[in-house]
Amino acid sequence: MKVIRWECMKTAFAFLLVWILGAAPAWAVLGEYESSISSDQKVMRGEVREMTLEGYSVHQIMGADRSVVREYVSPDGRVFGISWQGPTLPNLEQLLGSYYASWQQAAQARTRRRGPLVLRTEQLVVESGGHMRSFHGRAYLPGLVPKNVSAEVVR
Amino acid sequence: MNLRRVWTAHVALSLALSAGLLILASCGGGSGNNNGGGNNPPPVNNSQAVEVSFGPLGAAGGYVNGFFTSVNICMPNTSNCQTISNVLVDTGSEGLRVLSGQFSLLLPAVTDNSGNPLQECVKYADGSYSWGPVVSAGIQMAGEQAASVPIQVIDAPGQGIAVPSACASGGGVNNGTLASLGANGILGIGNFRQDCGSACTGSSPYAMYYLCPSNVCQVATVSLDNQLQNPVWQFAQDNNGLLITLPSVSATGAATATGSLIFGIGTQSNNALGTAQIYTTDSCGNFQTTYNGTAYSGCIQGSFIDSGSNGIFFLDATTLGIPECSDAPGFYCPGSTLNYTATNTGLNGTSAAVSFSIANADSLFATGNAAFNNLGGDNTGSFDWGLPFFYGRNVFIGIEGQTGPNSVVGPYFAY
Repeated sequence: MKVIRWECMKTAFAFLLVWILGAAPAWAVLGEYESSISSDQKVMRGEVREMTLEGYSVHQIMGADRSVVREYVSPDGRVFGISWQGPTLPNLEQLLGSYYASWQQAAQARTRRRGPLVLRTEQLVVESGGHMRSFHGRAYLPGLVPKNVSAEVVR
Repeated sequence: MNLRRVWTAHVALSLALSAGLLILASCGGGSGNNNGGGNNPPPVNNSQAVEVSFGPLGAAGGYVNGFFTSVNICMPNTSNCQTISNVLVDTGSEGLRVLSGQFSLLLPAVTDNSGNPLQECVKYADGSYSWGPVVSAGIQMAGEQAASVPIQVIDAPGQGIAVPSACASGGGVNNGTLASLGANGILGIGNFRQDCGSACTGSSPYAMYYLCPSNVCQVATVSLDNQLQNPVWQFAQDNNGLLITLPSVSATGAATATGSLIFGIGTQSNNALGTAQIYTTDSCGNFQTTYNGTAYSGCIQGSFIDSGSNGIFFLDATTLGIPECSDAPGFYCPGSTLNYTATNTGLNGTSAAVSFSIANADSLFATGNAAFNNLGGDNTGSFDWGLPFFYGRNVFIGIEGQTGPNSVVGPYFAY
């Protein structure tokens, strides 16, 4: 199956799950080290869960406002992917960090197209889609995706 | 300790804002009666013209498959109205939004009990945003009328209260000018009653509505009545949804295309379902599309029908094995026109195949036409059935909580 769904992952890797229910809202930025989370703390006031899977781990932040952000961390501790889903777009400046400028440039260049937006380069992939009340998207760095892990896990 | 104090202060502020908004000036939200009772009012004209064109920017703007109509806005509960032309018809959003420069009427602001005007930030999937105050207006289309509903005045850049940084954090353009919006306003007539719904009514509301006392903006809790409304469900009749009809266009497109926006579903002789089938959606307004053995469904990968998207945006060039246009990023440019078949499945189990074509976008743009049924581009790994889907079809949009034919309750699509 090309697309691994969250529920499927939860079931298949249940024996590997390490849930950490933390009170501290933590926020990592695409491409940065997980250890930088504390210095990048921003307001989402959500519940943070960490899940360890084969070859990577996922931090899931459930916002009090019903938004969900997932951060995908490689074994060496770098955030190689981020996904989001919720009633509106999240703060992409915060999530994309130093890659935000590339995304901003692509988004500002809008001319003929009206709809979802995708930025796809060798270094960076950002996809943003959906409609009012239900937006979703993901960003990943192909060069940082761990060996033996598909970028498609970022959902 | 520090965090907790901050958090406590935030909660206190939220509660204060919530309390303030509880007594917001009434916007006179309608009752949204369904037709079908024994005391139907006499039928009114429920149909008005819609046009696909380049819109107010003309061909030079390059905005193909723009879908426009006119809307009358009025002083609340009066017949003192003005006409806004070239308003984008968008089934992917809810609520009426109009560029600030279009207003000749001075419409009353929606405020909290301290007189602070309610502000709204709307972000779109492409990262663009609209920012500005919420005001009350009557809305008239064809013979239908909503007496008083909240609408948004879209501020021009630099106008009004400064845009909160979080509002612009999608990275896209500010839709506050004609040049950036490509329309005088957006008429959101999608599957939902309000633009935010319950995500904005609780103590941790989504960052959509703001109050900005002393120009310091804080996210605000807003009751359903005071949110922007899909005007259709506020009509006195024909309020369970709408029908959009557009003629077929040829494989090289048409200069323009003219169709109808018809209010109500199964309420008059001109909006019967006919042979259309109903596809109910999930709570996110999505149904399932299956392509090449893979089912795309749910809030993250589900499908929807969006007249505000100007192409069929689906999957990506690698998955499909076709090139993107080198000079028009995001559009597909196959060497020759390709035919595709996908299967749409509603939550109610209705399932049927959809055939569509994708032509070379560069070739389409070179025709100088504005209406294309075979323009496509990439997406997030799902299907956004944009305006090309509407040509040659009757497409019905059923609104949440409103009862349609065969007692089906929205949200649903039918075609």
